[in-house]
Amino acid sequence: MLARHEVVLVLVILVEVLLFQALGRNFLVGRNVSNIFRHSVEIGLLAVAMTPVILTGGIDLSVGSMMGLCAVLFGMMVNAFGLDPWLAASITIAIGAFGGGINAVLITRLKLPPLIVTLGTFSFFRGLAEALTKGAESYSNFPASFLALGNSDIAGLPAQVWVFVVVAAAIWVLVHHTTVGRSFRAIGFAPEGARYAGIPVARNTSLAYIIAGAVAGLAAVILVSRLGEARANAGIGYELLAITAVVLGGVSIFGGSGNVSGTLLGWVALAILNNGLTRISDYRIMDQPVASVARELSGMLTGLLLLAALAIGAATKSLAVRRARLQSLSKSPSNPINP
Amino acid sequence: MNKYFRELTVAAALVLLMLALAVFAPHFFQFQPFISRLTSQMPALVAAIGIALVIISRQIDISIGAQFSMCAVIAGVTAASGLPLGVAILAALGAGALMGALNGLLVAYLRLPSIVVTLATMAIWQEALRLWQQGRLLALPAGIKWFGCDQLTGQTIVISITFILLIVAAWAMKNLAAGRFIYATGTDAEAARLAGIDPQRTTFGVFVLMGILAGLGAVLNLVQSPQIQPNCGDGLELKAIAAAVVGGVAISGGRGTLWGVLLGMLLLANVNPALTHFHQPPYWEKAIQGLVILIAVMADGLRSRKNQP
Amino acid sequence: MKSLLKLTSIHKSFGAVRALRDVSFELEEGEVHALLGENGAGKSTLIKVITGAHQPDGGRLFVAGNEVAQLTPSKARELGIACIYQQPALFPDLTIAENIGLRLKKTGFLSRVRWADQRTKAVDLLHRIGAEISPDAEVRSLSMPEQQLVEIACALGSGARIVIMDEPTASLTQKEQHLLFKVVRELKQSGVGVVYISHRLEEIFALADRVTVLRDGESVGTNPVDSLTESQLIKLMVGREVSSIYPPAESEAGAVVLSLSNLGCSASGVSGVTFDVRAGEIVGMAGLVGAGRTELARILFGITPADRGEIQLNGSRVSINSPREAIGHGIAYVPEDRRRHGVILEMSIAHNMTMAVHSKLFPGTWLRTKAENLLAAGFIRDLGIKAYGPEAPGGSLSGGNQQKVSVARWLATKPKLLILDEPTQGVDVGAKSEIHKIIRGLAKDGLAVLMISSDLPEVLGMSDRIAVMRGGELVEIIDHKNADAHTVMAAALGTNGKDAA
Repeated sequence: MLARHEVVLVLVILVEVLLFQALGRNFLVGRNVSNIFRHSVEIGLLAVAMTPVILTGGIDLSVGSMMGLCAVLFGMMVNAFGLDPWLAASITIAIGAFGGGINAVLITRLKLPPLIVTLGTFSFFRGLAEALTKGAESYSNFPASFLALGNSDIAGLPAQVWVFVVVAAAIWVLVHHTTVGRSFRAIGFAPEGARYAGIPVARNTSLAYIIAGAVAGLAAVILVSRLGEARANAGIGYELLAITAVVLGGVSIFGGSGNVSGTLLGWVALAILNNGLTRISDYRIMDQPVASVARELSGMLTGLLLLAALAIGAATKSLAVRRARLQSLSKSPSNPINP
Repeated sequence: MNKYFRELTVAAALVLLMLALAVFAPHFFQFQPFISRLTSQMPALVAAIGIALVIISRQIDISIGAQFSMCAVIAGVTAASGLPLGVAILAALGAGALMGALNGLLVAYLRLPSIVVTLATMAIWQEALRLWQQGRLLALPAGIKWFGCDQLTGQTIVISITFILLIVAAWAMKNLAAGRFIYATGTDAEAARLAGIDPQRTTFGVFVLMGILAGLGAVLNLVQSPQIQPNCGDGLELKAIAAAVVGGVAISGGRGTLWGVLLGMLLLANVNPALTHFHQPPYWEKAIQGLVILIAVMADGLRSRKNQP
Repeated sequence: MKSLLKLTSIHKSFGAVRALRDVSFELEEGEVHALLGENGAGKSTLIKVITGAHQPDGGRLFVAGNEVAQLTPSKARELGIACIYQQPALFPDLTIAENIGLRLKKTGFLSRVRWADQRTKAVDLLHRIGAEISPDAEVRSLSMPEQQLVEIACALGSGARIVIMDEPTASLTQKEQHLLFKVVRELKQSGVGVVYISHRLEEIFALADRVTVLRDGESVGTNPVDSLTESQLIKLMVGREVSSIYPPAESEAGAVVLSLSNLGCSASGVSGVTFDVRAGEIVGMAGLVGAGRTELARILFGITPADRGEIQLNGSRVSINSPREAIGHGIAYVPEDRRRHGVILEMSIAHNMTMAVHSKLFPGTWLRTKAENLLAAGFIRDLGIKAYGPEAPGGSLSGGNQQKVSVARWLATKPKLLILDEPTQGVDVGAKSEIHKIIRGLAKDGLAVLMISSDLPEVLGMSDRIAVMRGGELVEIIDHKNADAHTVMAAALGTNGKDAA
């Protein structure tokens, strides 16, 4: 049921858990485990939403910046205009979708490379957020009922985790059980070939970017709820974490292959890494307790993990290509249906 | 359409901006602040030269900001430990070369996409630096600022070094075989290979060069203040890429001139100061930068569609 | 005369397909040696062996009398072998002088580019060719014929002694052709040997000293050009028994399914195409590469929509602007480039087969594995596809089986018109025959079939009627009764077929 890559990830996660339990304090206690998930829902959302985009062979560097812009707009709507937070949340998600739509139009209609388009919107969205808050303001006047989303539990799990489960399940169904998801892979493997087969390439690719934008909006709302504050720097660096989770999870950066379950495992591995380092106070690195430099260590390790995952992915891809070429050159397989 | 249409357009826009400033905010051109402003823009220009080469060879490098910061700190720490300025400079250039080599290795020889490789190395260097320096401001010994000269001399040196670099680089791109290799690799790596060029070696070389230029930029930045901020390179990659893209360097590779990059950088770098002098708020800089990248890329996209019906 | 190039007993196979079988070829100093043969006869494979892009499986290669063991493209260049393709491999953003400069001797990283020298050389080369173009012009701004001339200048500039020209006059005007002939004659004068590939018999008679004809991967003879007539040449190209192993037509053609009048698309160079295809009939489309057959198919399938003329399906006028629209109208296209457009190699057979019928087989976008596997198993059985199972990736199949998967994908759409583009290209003999039976069976079931093929025996054996295209136009429709290799090839080449054998 699990692909080989995912089995390796499960092992990695087990190793992490054992390591942090041994080296750290209060790692496997209930509250910390709850926190692992509570604090990483935003990244998890971005990672699952990034999966369809990467499957189509594209990339979206603007999701973190979209979060910042959405956070700021959300804060404005609730603080400055007095909107009901749940209404404002819905509008925010729509704004996210619209931002994704901007990416989509530039990529599918003008046929511009996703890399540079989303690099431009990465700068533009963040820039708008900073301009709107004049570089300094933040919003923090949110009703308790709203803050509960980010800080309370429902049936034992943090509230936002339930939201995440629903969204992740929806995207999982989209990718693995619908024709749209199937078309993402076709587009990623062979964009021209998909077109010749009558697949609506522009339409489906656009959908992937719009979903990424909408989910970024949702992630922004959850982040604001958790922190109780909406600032322009929300989501800085999150695109790196999302992409790392996806690539770690075995999704090929070139498109076509990979599972949402892989992304989820990659996300869990990263979330545990992030959290586990903050629990290690008995050991020191560069004269400091590990826990106090957990963020920096985690950032470095994330970058290293991304490189490792890419390198391994490239090595296995060339092996697979060679295997397929050998097979197609040979006369006939040994267990044919029609001998 | 003229081959240099883009560069001329940007030049025209720059001239218009300067004219508007001359009329409505003439204090923009007061000598000392003007020179200081120009000097402060030089490090980014150096980085932009490097990124232009990277983009022309059909790659990208978003780790240059992190490289810049790292080189600045390495140079600063070297100088602060009493070693002469020359050693500090070499340390910065060497560190840049090494970081560039890592990128080059992964992109050219392991054939990994440069966007994700440099996204990863950016994180690694950025966080490694934070781990090392903990956000400390590093005070520099007195002999470092302005290369140990007075301010005006120091500024002249910085500006001259940058322009000499620009002239040499532009000359080299046109007159050295290496320049031709970069353009050819960026246009069509396979055709380049068939013409006897080694695209892998060219790509590797471009990333190493980028690293060295990041180091040089860091040094030029270093001598402008008595202390280093470890986040001095933040946002550099976008600044540099925006300048290059506005100046006519095509993301699809194979086109662009360094003079265009100069014009692009001058135009963009002066938007903010211009806004200040027109009494407009400065925090629109990033948004304008992003918008400018998008418009430039759209213009390139439309132009190439016209050429290939 | 000194021998510049000599190949003896060259063998080359790609998997199960034998591209070259015991081919020998020789080029002398100052000679223009023409290479002639139908599509797929092995010309391009032979050229690739000469330029070092392919290593032969057997045989020997000599350059200037010295045997060369492992020829690579860079070694070939050093030995003075240059090839000028129809698609020039120039850098569009550089000037002519810069392009020529790049092709000159291998230079180190830091070597100075001598602009003045380069430019002078470029001026000189262009003058020798008689091309009236400035060396400072950007290649991007040149027309295709001009780019070709620049390519020749590059080849001359790199000191080539063996120049291969692959269909050099395909896109040249009369005046440019004369220019080219002048260049070729000049090359001859200076002792350069030219391997000249062309389908234009009049050129071969005008320029070449000797001609070698390839057929089905073998050389059927090397003769001095003046010892042959045009008709004899054609006979050498096609002369073989038309195999009687093709499944015979059994039913009468039914109603008209596709009717084209004056169809054209300026972007792809097709114009004035008028003909019909009926249910139950197989119309074979013959012609040379570049004659416009695939372009016509792409018009009908909506990839490059028509801008002139009319398409009628079952009597009603339709406009087709995308593959989706074409599929909606009941048109199916099995593409020529199997590996890039026909089958997605990384995806499973089942997924490939259902790729064009998502909305029908999976209403509401929900994937139904059972229905999918049932469909796949059915086609695997009916088309005789040899595979591990429906989940096997497309890339694990042989060429013939991949082609069957590609066909299955389109049969699943239950089309009214099936367009096949080179259905048995790169397919071994056994699978070829199976695919032929399948095609005939489909026609019997009432499908209208348009079959593009460069395999002359296949066209003759399978078609009820043969439509011949040349230069983007439909030049002749030959009925099965009146068709033979000679008439079809003559129509494709544009000779008037006089002095028939």
